[in-house]
Amino acid sequence: MSAVATPVRRRRTRYRLRVAAVAACLTLMCALAGTVAARVYHGQLLVLLVAGAAFAAFAIGFALRNRPAFLAPSASLVGLAAYLLGAIALTTDGREPLPATIVDALVNAVPRTLTALIPVEPAPDTVVVPVFLAWLAATLACEFAIRYGRTLLGCLPPVLLYGAGLYLVGPNADGGTATAVAFCVLAAAALAVTAAPPERRPDSDAVVDGPAPSKAPALMGAVVTTCVLLAAVALLGPAAARLVTASPGDPREYVEPPQLTDIDLNPLVRIAAWSKYPDQELFTADTTADSLMRLAVLTEYDGTTWQVAGDFRTAGTVIPGSGEADFSADIEIIGLGGKLVPAAADPATLTGLPIAVNLDSRCLLTPDGLATGSTYHVESALTTVDPAAAETARPDLADPATVAVPLGTPEIMATIADYVNTTYDTPYARAQGLADFLAQHYAYNPEAPSGHDLPALGFFLGSPADAGGQRGTSEHFAAAYAIIARLVGLPSRVVVGFEVPGGSSTVTAAQASAWPEIAFDGVGWVRFDPMPAPDAVPTPPEDTLEQLEEETPTPEEDTGGGGEAEDFNDESLEQEGDFNDELTRDAGGLPVWAWYALGALLLACAPLVLKARRALRRRRRLGRGSPADRVAGAWAEVLAAAARAGVKVPGHANAEEAASRLSPLNGEIGTLPRLVNAAAFAPQAVSEEDARAAAAIAAAYPRSIRHQVKRWKRLLT
Amino acid sequence: MHDTEQTHPLQVPRRMQQQVQLGAAQAEQFAAAFERLAAAVDTVVLGKQEVVRLALTAMFAEGHILLEDVPGTGKTTMARAIAAAVSGQWRRIQFTPDLLPSDVSGVTIFNQASGAFEFHPGPVFANIVIADEINRASPKTQSALLEVMEEGRVTVDGRPHQVPLPFLVVATQNPVEMDGTYRLPEAQLDRFLVKLSVGYPVEAAEIEVLRGTHQRSPEHLPPVLDTEAVAQMAELAKHVYIAEPLYAYLVQLANATRSHPQVAVGVSPRGLIALTRAASVFALSQGRGYIIPEDVKALAGPVFAHRIQLAPDAAMRGATGLQVVADAFDQVPVPLPSPAA
Repeated sequence: MSAVATPVRRRRTRYRLRVAAVAACLTLMCALAGTVAARVYHGQLLVLLVAGAAFAAFAIGFALRNRPAFLAPSASLVGLAAYLLGAIALTTDGREPLPATIVDALVNAVPRTLTALIPVEPAPDTVVVPVFLAWLAATLACEFAIRYGRTLLGCLPPVLLYGAGLYLVGPNADGGTATAVAFCVLAAAALAVTAAPPERRPDSDAVVDGPAPSKAPALMGAVVTTCVLLAAVALLGPAAARLVTASPGDPREYVEPPQLTDIDLNPLVRIAAWSKYPDQELFTADTTADSLMRLAVLTEYDGTTWQVAGDFRTAGTVIPGSGEADFSADIEIIGLGGKLVPAAADPATLTGLPIAVNLDSRCLLTPDGLATGSTYHVESALTTVDPAAAETARPDLADPATVAVPLGTPEIMATIADYVNTTYDTPYARAQGLADFLAQHYAYNPEAPSGHDLPALGFFLGSPADAGGQRGTSEHFAAAYAIIARLVGLPSRVVVGFEVPGGSSTVTAAQASAWPEIAFDGVGWVRFDPMPAPDAVPTPPEDTLEQLEEETPTPEEDTGGGGEAEDFNDESLEQEGDFNDELTRDAGGLPVWAWYALGALLLACAPLVLKARRALRRRRRLGRGSPADRVAGAWAEVLAAAARAGVKVPGHANAEEAASRLSPLNGEIGTLPRLVNAAAFAPQAVSEEDARAAAAIAAAYPRSIRHQVKRWKRLLT
Repeated sequence: MHDTEQTHPLQVPRRMQQQVQLGAAQAEQFAAAFERLAAAVDTVVLGKQEVVRLALTAMFAEGHILLEDVPGTGKTTMARAIAAAVSGQWRRIQFTPDLLPSDVSGVTIFNQASGAFEFHPGPVFANIVIADEINRASPKTQSALLEVMEEGRVTVDGRPHQVPLPFLVVATQNPVEMDGTYRLPEAQLDRFLVKLSVGYPVEAAEIEVLRGTHQRSPEHLPPVLDTEAVAQMAELAKHVYIAEPLYAYLVQLANATRSHPQVAVGVSPRGLIALTRAASVFALSQGRGYIIPEDVKALAGPVFAHRIQLAPDAAMRGATGLQVVADAFDQVPVPLPSPAA
């Protein structure tokens, strides 16, 4: 008796061990398949929930494997309901009653799971689907493999779960090679310890008798199958790998982003109203430090309006891609409307509001709009910029939208851009110089009417102060700065936001402003302040610009130097690398000293070349053409000489006014204004004698005012 | 064979475009006569040489003059002095609220002796008409001047009556005292070639005025020119040369006033024509047979400013037509020659 009982017990023990091994493998496969999706979730909560679901579902199925077939699914269904209830209760924030949360989660689970911004915040509506699928996969796997002894079929649910996880992850996580290998190993192990068919289960009521079945056929079959599989992998693997060229699809791409209203698309228009009514209370803020809370970042300009670029995507409480939060703010809305949510850059987490985030600018939006009494808590990783790094950095031209300039920019913008290009050398200096120019030459006026289309900005920049020009709000300063910066070749954008002090305070409309930012390669967006100081008295921009024109060679005098906006998109510039890196480069095999010497030689020759050009031009102007042409040439020579001495005659001045403007130089121009008028407006009224007299005046004039021309101008012009 | 110089039906033939160019001698003669006339008026109106010359410029440009200033600055005196310096017929109309249009233009009366209606010309039938305090008359009476100022004739009972040539209206008005006055309508303002302000004299001139109060009267001023000479000089001014770039310059100036943000209605084409005529006379008065931009700038203020209708908000802020004109000059480049590079 004992001799017979011992082999039976041993076989039963081995069978139980195999069943346990298969159960363990499949359970782990389900858990692993569930964690594939958990890679795009924030934290480890979903991993625990999915793994728990897999273990619990398999445990129920395993415990009831020998009970009637209907019992296990029923018990599993009850277990699933209980488990989902627990998961929802665990992840809810408690703001809504639990029944409402459960209904909302069950109704909206699938679309929200497929479209939630990564990393997905574990919430009732985002955990239901993974938990349900993991539970279902584990139950089916247990039934197929344990109850019916079909291990291969039992592997199918975890594989499908794995595929669903990959679809949910999309291109937003790495391949998960280790997980895939572990999954395959577990599947192979489960198959290797394939359970016996049901009729031969030792733990059932059936009696196992007779000798043990031979293993040789099964072993041979396994070897042959393995060889076939290996051959198939060897032959078809490379071809299949070549077919996999596209990145996986992302279901979030099919989601229509939240729609913006006009004031949210272009909140710059709100600056004028805020400036006019500065006492309007917008929100209260309790912050841990002084901060600039951004409302919107405007990158696209079409000549009429600045607009928010990029789409907003629904996000959870955690904003993807943020660093470690070192700043927090508790906000309560009072009078601030619209959908845009103020937050300091770079927001990391936000609780209290449903949130969508702009993937380009990382600004926030609440789809339902802000309402009085709305509160939220936001934590940010404050962005810091190293000024020293920005000073030597090149502009970041990666985004064409940040350098796009619409047609029809006012001439004054090009003039200021020329001034900045001519006066400053490096990108950072130009950006700072442009801010200084606007701050020194234009005034702040909270009553200035709103408008930042090109004509309005042209009026702001170019119209006389007594006609209403040259004064505006931060809307005008920031918008004008950003466009001129693009003319200079700097990538720019406009930010609308609030200056919020640390501690608890009420933020009013007076703290709202717009400011421009410039992108530097490797540094990021750097804020510049073109607003004038509160007590500053602006100097007319014409004075500075006219002085520039005097100092800058006229187009015909231009020898290829400054005056033109630098094209930072030029590939040759890209190849040059950093601005401060040029001197250390060993180019073309020549020693560095040779390049220095060549450069010095060219610099030494430049004045001579310039003087030779000027002499030739003077000879041509005064000696060629009709008498009227020569008088006109003499007039141009006199004006150019006066410009070198610092007196610029504007184009709207007539000859007598020009002579009046030149009088401080004490140079003798005699009858030249009369001759110019005669040459221009009288029929054949200029004789050869007049032309010779004009030429004599033009020749003597530069000498008479030579002492008033700066030495370097004398040298170079 | 067809004529190779065929032109568009609406295009002015080339031969009609050619102007009779003035010689330097003619321009000098004009300038001398102009200066004699101005010097004569200067003996009565002391210290106002610029205003006197602008008024005479308007007269030779066959335009009419509106003098606006506070009482006692010499508006009427200057008008009377100009009338006296030209040995033509002149009349003065003191505009009052009860003045009727027939009091200005004339009336047809039945003559019992002849048994027919006879036209009795009003005071407007003169070479120089001084319309004193024109804004005190009702708009109906003011409008009686519209036809005669523009067309040089008066229509009474359907019959036109030509006024003698040259014909000049010198109107005065007081901008301060507004009770019982009627603001001149825009159409009436547009018919005045220039609007001038006499202003207070400088201290030295005012002392001189006090010294010779009784001697310096327009009645004592001997005529310097007769009406025929004035008509000839006005005709001469029509032949002043205007270079092509100046036409564009003038139009750009007018456009600048029209597109000015503070302006509701800018300068009309009639205003532009008036400026061209006035600049022609001004150039001749300087001894030149051609216009230069300085002439345009010297006259743009008096000719343009009163024709510009400011936007209500700009007017409330104290903007003026002169400021708009100055802005226009600051925007439009002068067409001075640009040398070849």
